[in-house]
Amino acid sequence: MKKGKTSILNLGLLPVFLLLLLPGCVELEEKPMDFTGPDNFYRNLSQIESAFASSMQRIYQYWGAYSYTYYNFQDDDQYDYGELVIEDNHGEDLWTSHYQSIADLNPAIKALNENVLGGSATQEEIDLLMAQAKFVRAFNYFSLVRLWGPVPLITETTDLVAGEITRAPITEVYALIESDLQFAVNNLPVSWPSEKIGRPSKDAARTLLAKVYITMATAPMNDATQYVKARDMAKQVMDAGNYSLVQNVEDVFKFENAYGPEMIWSFNASPDDPATEPQIWLPGSMADGWGDIHPDPIWAAAFPDQPRRNAYLLLENFDGVPWNEDPGFYWNGPGIKKFIYESREDLERYFSAQNYPVIRYADVLLLFAEAENMVNNGPTQAACNAVNQIIDRANGYVDNPNYPKLTTALSKEAFDAAVINERNLELCFEYDRWYDLCRKRLLYEKSVPEIQQNFTEDDYLWPIPINDMRLNSLLTQNPGYAGP
Amino acid sequence: MKKKLKLLFTSHLHDRFGLIMRFCFLAGLLVTLQLSASGSIYATDSNSGANDVLAPQQVKITGTVTGSDGTPIPGVNIVITGTALGTVTDAAGKYSIEVPRGSKSLRFSFIGMETQDINIGTLTHIDVTMVESGIGLNEVVVTGYGTAKRSDLTGSVSSVKTEELLRLPTQRVDQALQGRTTGVFILNTDGSPGGNTMIRIRGLNSINGGNEPLIVIDGLQGGNINSLNPNDIASMEILKDASATAIYGSRGANGVILITTKLGKKGKPVIDAGYNIGIQNLARKLPVMNASDYVRYWNFRRSLDTGQGNIPTPIFTDAEIDYYDKNGGTDWQDVVYQTGILQNSNLAISGATDQLKYMVSGNYLDHEGILVNSKYTRISLRANLSADVTKWCDFGLNYAYTKEIYKSPTFKNEVGWTSEVVNNAPRWAPTEPVYDENGNYWKHRSGYGAPDTWNPLASAMEPVIDNPTYRNNANLFLNFKIVKGLSLKIQGGAQFTNGYYNDYYNAKTLQGLQYNGYGNVNKNLYERYQNTNILTYDNTFGEHHITFTGVVEQVAEEGKGSNIEAWDFLVDQLGIDNLGGANGKITSSWHDKRSLLSYMGRLNYVWKDKYLVTLSYRADASSVFGKDNKWGFFPSGSLAWRISQEGFLRDSPIVSDLKLRVSYGITGNQGISPYQSLASLGSGEDYSYPWNGQATTDIGFGIAGIANPELKWESTAQTDIGVDLSMFKGRLTATIDVYKKVTDDLLMPRTLPGYIGVSSVIDNVGSIQNQGLEVMIGGDPLAGKLRWNTSLNFTLNRNKILDLGPDERIGYRPSYGGYSLGSNFMFLQVGEPFGLMNGWKWLGLWGVDEDAEARSYGQLPGMNKYWDKDNDGDIDNNDRTTIGNGYPKYTIGWTNLFTYSNFELSFLIISYQGNDLFNTMRIRRETYEANDPKVLDYWTPENQDSDIPALYDGKYVEEQNLINKLIFGNSSGATSQWVEDASFIRLKTITMAYSMSQKLLSKIGFTKARFYVSGTNLLTFTKYTGYDPEVAQFTNSDATIGVDLSSYPPAKTWTFGIDFTF
Repeated sequence: MKKGKTSILNLGLLPVFLLLLLPGCVELEEKPMDFTGPDNFYRNLSQIESAFASSMQRIYQYWGAYSYTYYNFQDDDQYDYGELVIEDNHGEDLWTSHYQSIADLNPAIKALNENVLGGSATQEEIDLLMAQAKFVRAFNYFSLVRLWGPVPLITETTDLVAGEITRAPITEVYALIESDLQFAVNNLPVSWPSEKIGRPSKDAARTLLAKVYITMATAPMNDATQYVKARDMAKQVMDAGNYSLVQNVEDVFKFENAYGPEMIWSFNASPDDPATEPQIWLPGSMADGWGDIHPDPIWAAAFPDQPRRNAYLLLENFDGVPWNEDPGFYWNGPGIKKFIYESREDLERYFSAQNYPVIRYADVLLLFAEAENMVNNGPTQAACNAVNQIIDRANGYVDNPNYPKLTTALSKEAFDAAVINERNLELCFEYDRWYDLCRKRLLYEKSVPEIQQNFTEDDYLWPIPINDMRLNSLLTQNPGYAGP
Repeated sequence: MKKKLKLLFTSHLHDRFGLIMRFCFLAGLLVTLQLSASGSIYATDSNSGANDVLAPQQVKITGTVTGSDGTPIPGVNIVITGTALGTVTDAAGKYSIEVPRGSKSLRFSFIGMETQDINIGTLTHIDVTMVESGIGLNEVVVTGYGTAKRSDLTGSVSSVKTEELLRLPTQRVDQALQGRTTGVFILNTDGSPGGNTMIRIRGLNSINGGNEPLIVIDGLQGGNINSLNPNDIASMEILKDASATAIYGSRGANGVILITTKLGKKGKPVIDAGYNIGIQNLARKLPVMNASDYVRYWNFRRSLDTGQGNIPTPIFTDAEIDYYDKNGGTDWQDVVYQTGILQNSNLAISGATDQLKYMVSGNYLDHEGILVNSKYTRISLRANLSADVTKWCDFGLNYAYTKEIYKSPTFKNEVGWTSEVVNNAPRWAPTEPVYDENGNYWKHRSGYGAPDTWNPLASAMEPVIDNPTYRNNANLFLNFKIVKGLSLKIQGGAQFTNGYYNDYYNAKTLQGLQYNGYGNVNKNLYERYQNTNILTYDNTFGEHHITFTGVVEQVAEEGKGSNIEAWDFLVDQLGIDNLGGANGKITSSWHDKRSLLSYMGRLNYVWKDKYLVTLSYRADASSVFGKDNKWGFFPSGSLAWRISQEGFLRDSPIVSDLKLRVSYGITGNQGISPYQSLASLGSGEDYSYPWNGQATTDIGFGIAGIANPELKWESTAQTDIGVDLSMFKGRLTATIDVYKKVTDDLLMPRTLPGYIGVSSVIDNVGSIQNQGLEVMIGGDPLAGKLRWNTSLNFTLNRNKILDLGPDERIGYRPSYGGYSLGSNFMFLQVGEPFGLMNGWKWLGLWGVDEDAEARSYGQLPGMNKYWDKDNDGDIDNNDRTTIGNGYPKYTIGWTNLFTYSNFELSFLIISYQGNDLFNTMRIRRETYEANDPKVLDYWTPENQDSDIPALYDGKYVEEQNLINKLIFGNSSGATSQWVEDASFIRLKTITMAYSMSQKLLSKIGFTKARFYVSGTNLLTFTKYTGYDPEVAQFTNSDATIGVDLSSYPPAKTWTFGIDFTF
C-alpha cells in the first residue's frame, strides 16, 4: 500500500471517527409521542367532553356492558343464588370503577373552574360542560354513598398518592351530590338535539335528585324533611311534560324507545361497543344461552299474572315452548326478557346493543307517589294516579281483579308498601331493588326463609376494599367486615 | 458536526467517568491519526511473507497419526495450512503428502479432536498424537466486548459448541440449547411450528421487568434468537455470573447469550449443503369415550336428574344409540390434528484469502404443523465478511435478512376460549358430526358435552391468518491496531423489523358470526441502532498479562405501529382485503422511543498464569427511568486461582487443570416499557363510550397513569463460587458453581388505593433471591475405536421472594374463562418461591364408613372430600393452602455421542423434576362435560377405589336435606384434584448418522457427506395426564407458570437428512 493513499484514507475516516465516537447522540429525556399527560389536556370543548365518555365507560364496563356486576346485587330477592353472605371483597370492582370515573371527571371540572378554556368558549358552553360533568360525578357518589356509607370524597385532583384521606360523613357526601345535581338541574338543557340524544337532560338531573332526596328521607339518614323536596322535584318532571310512559308495556324496552318518551337516561350501547352478550340472559335452548343471570324462581312465581309479566319475563323459548317444558331453563323458572329485544338472528350471533336503563319515567311516578304519600300522611289522589298509570299499563288497560289499582282508602303504610312493591315489579333487574331493600330496611323481610338466617344489620353496607384500607391506615372498615 | 463537538464537551458534565472515557477515546483517536498520518509503521511490509513463493519444489512428508492411547486413527484430515491441498490417513493411521517448499505448516483435523497445526520447518517425518477436544483450555471464548482464553476466564461462562448443536437436525437455536448446559432453563411454551420458548438463566430475578436473557449476536444486542439460522453459528457462550454479565450493566441481570456467526477458513471455498425432512405426529392423544359408551353414560346421568320433581327424559333415543353403535362417532382430535411435514434446506459458501474471510448462507425452512392450518416458514440469508484493509486496520460486515411467516389457529385466548381449537377439540362429544347435511359446520347440541364452544374444525380452518415478519440486520465494524497491544474497534449496527399481523374471521367462525366478519390489520416497525466503541489494550510484561477494555456505547430504539380492527363486513369473502366494506372500525396507533448511553471499563490481570483478577465497572443511563434517576452503576470483581499451575500440581498425571473462581457484582434490569415514569391519559376502546347515544362510540380520554420521577433500575447482586476441573488430559472434566443472587428495587406495579382511580404505578418495590448449584461433568469414558463422549449437567435453583413492597402477596388469576376460577390461583408471596398454587386440598372421596362426617359437610359417601384446614366444619377461603408449585426443583440434561468408524449415535435426555401443573382441561372433561373414559369408573359402594365422584339420584340427594358446607364461591376448580406432578424424563432427541469415508469421498469430489436419521420427543416418562408436561403454557408471565392452558401440543418427529461439503 502506498504511503500517500494511506493518509488520504485516514483523513477521509476522520469524520467517520468523530461521528461514531461522540456520545450524546441519544436523547435520554422522554418526550412521549403517542399519548399526552393530564397537565396539557382539557384545553378545549372536545377534550373536556372526551373526559365524559371515558368516565362513563369506566362504570359502563361493570354496570352495563358485561353485566356480571349483578353478582354484587344477587343478594336481593329478585336474582337467583342470593345468599346474603357478603364476603370481604364484595363490590370491589364497583368501588374502583366509580372512583376511576370520578378521577376522569375531576381534572375536567378543575380545568373549567380555572377557566382554562378562556375566551374560546362562552360562559353558557362552560356551564353546560360543567353541568354534565357534575351530573355524572353525582351519579358516582350517589352509588358509592348508598353502597358503602361514608366514603373518601375527592373533588379535585390533588396529590393523592402522598396525601392521606379519610372517609367523609354521608352528610358531606350528600351535600356534594345535592350541589352537583342542583347545578346540573339549572344548566342542563330540557332536551338534546338528536345527534346528542344520549346525554343527560334537565329531567334526568331532577329525577336523580328526587331519588337522592327520597334516599335521604329513608334509612340510614331518615331525614323525613326530604320527602317534600323529593316530591317537588319529581313533580317538576311530571309537570314539565317532556317524558311520559310508553303506551304498551311490551314496547317499553324496544329499540325505538331507547331515548324516550319513557327512557330519561341510560347506559348507552352502540354496535361499536356491543353491550353484554345476550347469552347471559338466555336459556341453553335459545342461541346457546348460558343463563347466568336469571330471576329467583320464587320471586318469579310471585309475579302477578298480567301483560307486564310477559313483557318483562322470558316465559318461553323461540319456538313457543314454555319454560317449564324446556330443560334449557335449568333453574326451573322464567328468564329475564327486558334486555333481549334483539332479533333471533342477532341473538344467535351473540350480539346485543340494548341500552341499560338508569332513569325512566315510571321511576319518576313512583318516586312522586312514595313522597306524596309520606308528605300527606296518607295517599292523595295525585299519588294514586301516579302509581295507577303504571298499574293500568301493566294490566294492559283492563281491570285486573288480581292486581287492582290503588285508592286513597289505603293507609299510609299500606300505600307505601304497595309503591315499593310496584317498584319491585316495574323496575325489576334495573339494579334498583337492592337500594330499595336497603333504604326501607327490608332485606330480612323479603329474603327467602333459607337465607334469612344469614342476615345481619351489617349487610346494609358493603365492606371497604381491603386493598384501600391496607394502603391508607386512616380508612375505617364498615361493621361486620375484616380489616386488612 | 459543530453541534456534535459542542455536545461532547457540554453534555453530561456531571458524569466524571464518562468524561474520562471520552478522553481515552480522543487520545486513542489522536494516536491513530498521528500514526497513520506519519506513514504508518505497518504499511510498508504488506507484500512480504508467505506470498513470496518461488518455483514449486515438492518435499514429501510422511508420518503416523495416533490417539492419546497410541492407537492409530484412520481418516484424519491433513491439509497444508492455508491451501486446499491435502490427504487423509489410511487404516493404519499412516499418511504421505507432497508439500511445496516454503509451506509453513500442516493442519491435522478429525471430528471430536483438537485441530493441530504442526510447523514443517525442515522435517520430513511428522508423527502426531491427536487430543480429544474436551474443554480446550486454549480455546478462545467470546466474552462481552472481547475474547479471552478459557484458561484466563474468571467468571462463569458456558460454551456450547456448534458441532454439538448441529449434530441433530436443528431448526431453532433456542430449542437446540435445551438440556445442553447448566444454569439454562428452557421451556417450550407451545408446540406450534415456530412457536415460543422461554429461556431463563439462573432462575427468576424479576416480576415485571422481564426475565429474558440478553441476546447478543456478533456484538449487536437485542438479537432475535428464534429467527437465527443455527447453521450460521460459530460459537455460543452463556454468561451467567456477575463477573461475566456486569459489563452489560443495565441489561445483564438475566444472563447474556453471546452468539458469533461463522466466517470462512483459509483454503479453497467450501460449500456446505444440507437438507432434512421431518414427519410429525401428535405426541400424545387425550383419551376420549367412544360414541357408544358416551350415549349410554349420558342417558344414565340424565336419568338421575330427578331433583325439584323433575321427570327426566333420555337425551339419546334408542334409535340414536343404535346408530352410534353401528357407525361410531367423531374423534375430534383426529379431525383437527394431521401429520406435519417439516423441510429444512441449507446452503453456505465460505472461504478466506490472506486479506478476506467470507461466508454467505441461505436457509429455507418450511414447517406444516400437526394442527390443521398451522404453518411456519422462514427464509434467511446471511453474508459475513471480514477484511484486512491494511496491517493496522481491518473491517467486518455482517448482514442478515430473515422473513418469517407464523400461522396457527389461535390457542392463546386471543379470540375467547369458546373457539380455541386445542382446548375445544378434546371436549367435543363423539356424537357430534363435523358437518350437517348441507355441508355446514355442525353446532354442538345442548344438554351434554360442550355446547358453549364452537366447532373445533371451523375454529381451526376458517380463520385467515397472515403475519409475516421481515428482519434486516446489518453490523459493521472497523478495527484499528494502534500500537502493539492497543486496538480500537468501532462498531455500528442497525436492526429493522417489519411485522405484520393480519387476520380475518369469516362468518363460519364464532367471532365472524358474532361481528358479521371480524379482522385486524396490524403493522409494526421497529428500528434499533447501536454504536459501540471498544478500546482494548492487551499486553504481557514478563509474568504479568494485562487486558484493559474501555467501551462507550449508545443505543437508540424506536417502534411504531398501527392497527385497524374491523367488523361488520358487507362481503364476507373479501374480508380485510376490502376494509372499505366494513361498517365498524377502530383504528389505533402507537409510537415510542427509548435510548441507552453507557460507559464501561474492565481490567483483566493475570500473574504467572496462576492468579487472575477481573474488575469491571459500567455506567448506564436509560431513558425509561424517572427524570431524577436515569443513571445506574454496575461494578463487579472476580478472582481466580489456577491451582494446577502451582508446583505441587503442575506435573500431576491426573489433574490437568484446576481452577477456583470467586466473583461478585451488580447487574441491572431496565425491562419496562418507555414512559412509565410519566403521568398519562389513555384513549382508545377502553376509554370510549357512546356519550351521544349514536351508533359510533365517542372518543374518550381518561386518567391512565400517574407520574413517578423516582423510578430507577432494578438491580441484582450476585456472588458466585466455582471450580473448573480437568483430569487425565481432558478426558474427564467438571465444572461446579454455586451462586446467590439478590434482586432489589424490583420494577413492579405498586398498588394504589382504589379511590385514586389508577390501579397502580410502576415503582421500585420488593426483592427476590435466587440460590443455585450447577454441576457439569463431561468426559470420554471410551476413547478407542468405539468412542463415547458424554456430558451430564445438573441445575438446581431455589427462588424466594423476600419483599413485595406494601403487599404481602400478589395473586394471579389465569385469565382463561370457563374454568371455574373466579379468584386468584397463582401467588407471589413473601417467603415463598415463584409458581405457588393456592387452593383447596382434595383428599379423595368420602368412603362408606365416613357417612356421618361426610354429611356434616353436606356431602355423601362418594363425593369429594377436602381438607378442613381450620377444622371449623366448613370448607371456605380459610381452608385454602399451597397445593403445588409450577417450577422444577432441579433439571438434568445428559448428552451422549458414540462414534464407531463412520457411524455416530447421539442422544439427549432431559429431565425436569418436582414441578406441578394445574390441568385445567380435566375439570371439564371429568365433571360436567364428562367425555374422558375415566368417568365410567365412578365411585359406588362396591367400587370405592375410584377418584371419580359417585353419581347420585337427584331426588335422593334432595331428601337427605344436606346443608352444603363447601363454600368455594366461583372458584370451585381451584383444588388439588387437578394439580398433577409434571416431572418428566424425556428422550429429547436421538440421532444416528453415517459419514462417508474419505476414500469414497475423494472419488466423488466431496470433502464430507453425512446421512442421518433423527427422532425428537420419542419417549417421555411422566405421570402428567395432559398433552404434555413441558409444552403446557403459552403464558410468558413467570408468575403463572404451572397452569396448563391448552397450549399447542408438541409433536413426535422423525427426521431424515443429508449434509454435504465440497
